[in-house]
Amino acid sequence: MNWKLLSIIGLSFVLIGSAVADERIAIDGSTTVGPIAKAFSEYYMEQNPGVNITVSESGSGNGAKSLINGTCDIADMSRFMKDKEFNAAVEAGVFPVAHVVAMDGIAVLVHPSNPISGLSVEQVRDIYLGTVTNWKELGGPNKKIIAISRDTNSGTYETFAKLVMNKQKMAASVEYVGSNGGARQRVQTTPAAIGYVGLGFIDHTVKPLKINGIEPTMLTVSSGTYPISRPLFMFTNGYPELGGHLHALVTLHLSPNGQEIIEAIGFVPVTSY
Amino acid sequence: MRLRTRKLLDRSFSGLGFLSIGFMAASLLVILAPIFGRGMGAAVFQGTIEHRRLMMEKFHRGDRDMIEAELDQVRAARAPVYDMIAAFKEEPQRLSFGDRIQRRKSMREVEDLVVELLGPLPGKKRPILIRDQYGETRWDQAKVKLGRLLYIEEYDYSDRAQMGRKILVPREQKFRGTSLQPLFAYVEENMEQMFLPRTTFYWRFLFDRSLDAHFFGGIGPEVLGTLYLTIMAMIFAIPMGIIAAIYLVEYAGDSSGIQLLRTCISSLAGVPSIVFGLFGLAFFLNTLSISESKSVLAGSLTLALLVLPTVIRASEEAIRAVPHTYREAALSLGAGKWWTVVTVILPAALPGILTSIVISMGRAAGETAPIIFTAAVSVGQPLKFWETISQPTPALSWNIYNLATEHEAVDEIRHIQYGMVLTLVLLVLLLNITAIVLRARISKKLRG
Amino acid sequence: MRLLEQEDRAGIWSRTSGGRKASLLLSKSAGRHKRRASIIGHGFLLTITSLSAVAILFIFYFIFRDALPFFQLRGLTEFFSSSRWYPSGEPSEFGALAIFAGSGLVTLGAVMVSVPLGIAASICLSDVLPFHLRQMAKPVIEILAAIPSVAYGFFALVVLAPMLQEQGGQILSIVVYVVGLPLLFLGATVLGDLFSQRLAGTHRGLIRISTTALLVGLGLLALALLGRRLTGLEISSGTNALNVSLILGIMALPTVVSVSEDALQAVGRELREGSYALGATRAETMMKVVLPAASSGILAAVILGVMRAIGETMVVWMASGNAAQIPHPWYNYLEPIRTLTATIAGDMGEADHVTGSARYHVLFAMAACLLLISFFSNLASETVRRRAMRKTQGT
Repeated sequence: MNWKLLSIIGLSFVLIGSAVADERIAIDGSTTVGPIAKAFSEYYMEQNPGVNITVSESGSGNGAKSLINGTCDIADMSRFMKDKEFNAAVEAGVFPVAHVVAMDGIAVLVHPSNPISGLSVEQVRDIYLGTVTNWKELGGPNKKIIAISRDTNSGTYETFAKLVMNKQKMAASVEYVGSNGGARQRVQTTPAAIGYVGLGFIDHTVKPLKINGIEPTMLTVSSGTYPISRPLFMFTNGYPELGGHLHALVTLHLSPNGQEIIEAIGFVPVTSY
Repeated sequence: MRLRTRKLLDRSFSGLGFLSIGFMAASLLVILAPIFGRGMGAAVFQGTIEHRRLMMEKFHRGDRDMIEAELDQVRAARAPVYDMIAAFKEEPQRLSFGDRIQRRKSMREVEDLVVELLGPLPGKKRPILIRDQYGETRWDQAKVKLGRLLYIEEYDYSDRAQMGRKILVPREQKFRGTSLQPLFAYVEENMEQMFLPRTTFYWRFLFDRSLDAHFFGGIGPEVLGTLYLTIMAMIFAIPMGIIAAIYLVEYAGDSSGIQLLRTCISSLAGVPSIVFGLFGLAFFLNTLSISESKSVLAGSLTLALLVLPTVIRASEEAIRAVPHTYREAALSLGAGKWWTVVTVILPAALPGILTSIVISMGRAAGETAPIIFTAAVSVGQPLKFWETISQPTPALSWNIYNLATEHEAVDEIRHIQYGMVLTLVLLVLLLNITAIVLRARISKKLRG
Repeated sequence: MRLLEQEDRAGIWSRTSGGRKASLLLSKSAGRHKRRASIIGHGFLLTITSLSAVAILFIFYFIFRDALPFFQLRGLTEFFSSSRWYPSGEPSEFGALAIFAGSGLVTLGAVMVSVPLGIAASICLSDVLPFHLRQMAKPVIEILAAIPSVAYGFFALVVLAPMLQEQGGQILSIVVYVVGLPLLFLGATVLGDLFSQRLAGTHRGLIRISTTALLVGLGLLALALLGRRLTGLEISSGTNALNVSLILGIMALPTVVSVSEDALQAVGRELREGSYALGATRAETMMKVVLPAASSGILAAVILGVMRAIGETMVVWMASGNAAQIPHPWYNYLEPIRTLTATIAGDMGEADHVTGSARYHVLFAMAACLLLISFFSNLASETVRRRAMRKTQGT
C-alpha cells in the first residue's frame, strides 16, 4: 500500500543520505560580496569538480546568523560583525575569523540625464533625511527626488547609514530595494532617482556622482580618498584547516587569479592599497 | 423608466459581463505575450560564433573542424580592427600633456568596448571569468554593443530646469584624422563576417548548468530543483491528503469534533504563503532541525503543508462524486467498508483525485515565499537524489526573483530571466492543461 | 445500518488476515479481533486526518511563540500606532502602522479591480454565456489562477513598472476615457429618463432629450478636464501601489469569479423564472432578485479575494517600492508603499534570532497579525457560505 512504499522510500533516503561524504561548502550573506562569492565558487568548482559550493545572498545580517547557527561555512559580510553577533557566536561555540577579501566604495548614483554631477556628503544626507526633496534645491531641474535605499538588512545600508547618514534615520518616503542590482536598475529606469550601490555595480547606464568632489573609482577607493569606502569580509568559524577546500576558498583572494577575478567584477583587491 | 432605457441597461449589463471576461482574457494575453515572446529568445536566437565557441569549449558540443574553420574566417575579418588599434597606439603624438591623457582615455574606452564586443584582444592572457573570455554570444546584444561603440551617449544639460536630453555623438568624430577613424565604419560594415550569426536552437538551455552566475549556459539546476521540490512535496501531501479525504467522506460523522477538524483544514488553506515559510523555518529547521541548513526536504515539507488542504478538498469532492450505487453494489457483494473504499471507490474517484494532484503540483512548483527561508539558494550544483535531504537547491521560482532583482548584471541576462519565467509558466500550464483534459474526460465518462 | 457496520468490521478483518479467505462465520475471538482491527484502522485514519488539521495549530503555536516576545519587549502601542519603521536605527523603532496601511491600501485597490469585474464576469458565466462559450472562458480563468505569483511579480517589475513610468499619464487617461465614456452616456440616459418620468404632459420627450444632452455635455467637459490632467501626470516611480493593486486584482479575479459563480448557480431557477415572468429584464432579474439572494455567497467570494490579495508576497515584494510610508493623501496610489508580507520576506535577512532581538520577533508579530486576519476572514467566509447554503436549501 501507499504508506508501506512511502516508508521504504523514506528509509532508503535516510540510509543513502547518511552514506554521503561529498565535500560541500555553504556560503551565505551579503549581496554585495555575492558576486565575488559566486565567481570564486564557480572558479573553484571548476578546478575541483568534487566540491559543491552553494551561495545564498540574503544579507550580511543573515550571513552572520547562519554562521552562528552553523548553517553556513562562510559568511559574506559587507560590514564587520557587530559586538552582539560576536557575543552570540562565542556563546554558541563559534569563533568568527574575518578575512578581508576586497575593498569596496559605495557609489551614489543618479540617472545619466540628471545634470547634477557631484554632491557633498551632507547634501546626500539631506536627500535621504527628506529635508531636500527636489532637485531644484541642489541646482538641478524641478523634479521630485526619488530616493532609493538598500534594504535595512544589507551591509551596504549599514555602511551608508554610518558613513553618510551619521546614523540619523532616513525619511519614510525612501524606497527600499533588496539588492545592489535592483537599486541600480531603479535608478537606471527612473530619471529623478538617486540610489547607492557597491562599486562593482556601476555601469554605463547610470551616472556615479562625485562625492565631495571625488569620483568613485578603484583608484580613489584604494588610495582612501573616496569618502564612502569599506572593506568586504568573509567570516569563517575558526581559521580553516590548512590545505582544506575551505582554506583554499577564503584565501583565493590573495592569489593572482583571485585578484584578477575581484578586479574583473569591479572591486578593489586588498593588495592594491 | 422607459422600455428602451431598460433594454439599454440590460444590454450594457450583459456587455459589462462580456467586457470583464474580455478583460481577463486580455490581461492573460498581455501578461503571457512578453513572457512567451521573450522567453523563447532564451533558447531560440541568432547565435554568434562566440556562442558556438563557448559551447565547444565548455560543453564539448558542435563540429570542431567546422567551428575551427569559422573561427579562422572570423579572425581574418577581425584582424584589421586589432591592426588599427595597434597602429593608433604607435602613431606619433605631438600633443600637450592634457590632450594626451584625454586621448588615452578615449582610446581606453574604445578598447574596452571592442573587448566587450569581440572578446579579449589576441595575444593577451586569457581572463579567468568566463564572461570576459568570450565576445557577444547573441547577435541582438552584439548589435546593442555595436551601437555603444559607434556612438557616445552624451547628455545636453544646457537647460538646468529640465532633465538632460540624450544626444548620440558619433565616436568617429573624436578620432578624426587618426588611424583609428576607419575602425568604426569597418566594424559597422563587417559585423556579420566578424560574428557569423546563425539561428540557433539552444534546447539544452533547460538542462545545462549555468556558467559564470547565469551569464551563459542554462538553467538545469533550477529546473531540477523545482522538480525535486514539487515531487517531494507531493510525495508527502498525496498520501496524507487522500487518507484524510477518505476519512472525512467515508468514516467521519458530523460531530462537533469533526466540524472543528474541517475548520482547521480550511483555515490552513487560508494561511498566507509567507507565513508557511516562517513556520517552516521555525519548525522544521530551528526546532526539529531535520537538516543542518536549508534543504530540499525542509522546503518540500513546507510546500506539502501548503498544498495539503487543496489536495484534501479536491479529493473529498472526487470521492463524494462517486455514485452511491457503486458503494451499495460493493457492500451487497459482501465487501467490507474499507475493502469497498480501496477497491471500488478509490479507483472510481482516481481521475478526480489525479486532477487535484496535478493542480496542486502546479501550485507547489510556482510558490516562492515558502522556500525562501527553507530551501532556496541562488547558486548551487544540481543535486543527486539522495542529497536532497540535506542540501538546498536553486529553484526556478526563487531564481527568477534573484536574477531579476539581485544579480549584478540584471539587464544583460534578461533573456535568461525570461527563459526561466517561461519555463516555470510552461511547467505550470502543462500541469493545468493535463488537469483540464483529465477533467473533461471524467465529465464525458460520467455523462456516459 | 447495524448490518452495514458489521459488514464493515468483517471487511477490515478479511483484509488484515492477509488475503486469506475470510470466514463469514463469526466466532467469538474473531469478533474481538475484528473490533480491535476496526478501531486501529479507524484510529489510524483519524490520526492522519488530524495531523493535517494539527498543522494549523502548530503554525499558530510557532508563530505566536516567536511573536509574543516582541510585545513583551516593546509593548503594543508603538507597533500599532506609530508609522516610524526603523528596525535597524539607533534606537530602533518598530511602528508598523504605515506597513499595515500599505497592506490595506493594496488590498483595497485589488478589491476595487477584482470585485466589480469578478462579479460581472461570474454573472456572465452563469447566466449570459451559452454553454460552449462558457467552456472556453473557464480555462482562461483557470490559467489566470495557475500562473505563479513570481511570474506576475516579474511582469509587474519588468514590464508594467517601466511602462507606468514612461507612459503612465497617457495610459491612465485612456483608461478614464474607455471607462468613463460609456458610463457617461448610460448614466445620462438613465438620469434623463428618471427626471422626465415624473413630469406629465406633452413636453416630456423634449425635456428628456435636453436633460440628457445637458448631462452628456457636462460629463464630457469633466472627462476632458480630468483626461488632460491625467495626460500631463508624471508617475515618478512605477513600482507603486497602483501597479501592485492592479496585478493583485488580476490575481484575485479567478477566486472571486469561481466562488461567486457557485453562489449564483446555487440560486434556484424558480426565482429567476418568477422574475422573468413578472416582465423583468435579465439585468433587473440579476440585480434585484438573484444578486440579493446570492449576496452571502458573493460576500464569501469577496472575503476570499481579499485574503488572496493580503497574503500575496512576491508581487508586492518586487513591485511595491517597499517605502514604509502612508501616502499623502492616503488615497494616492502613485506612491510606493510597503506591505506586511514584503517586510517579512525582505527583513528576515537581518533577523538575528540568535540574540533574540526585537527585530526578529517583530516579523513574527507581523506574521501573527497576518495569520489572525486570514484565520478570521476564513471563519467569516465559512460562516457566510454555510448560511448561504442553508438559505438556498431552505427556499
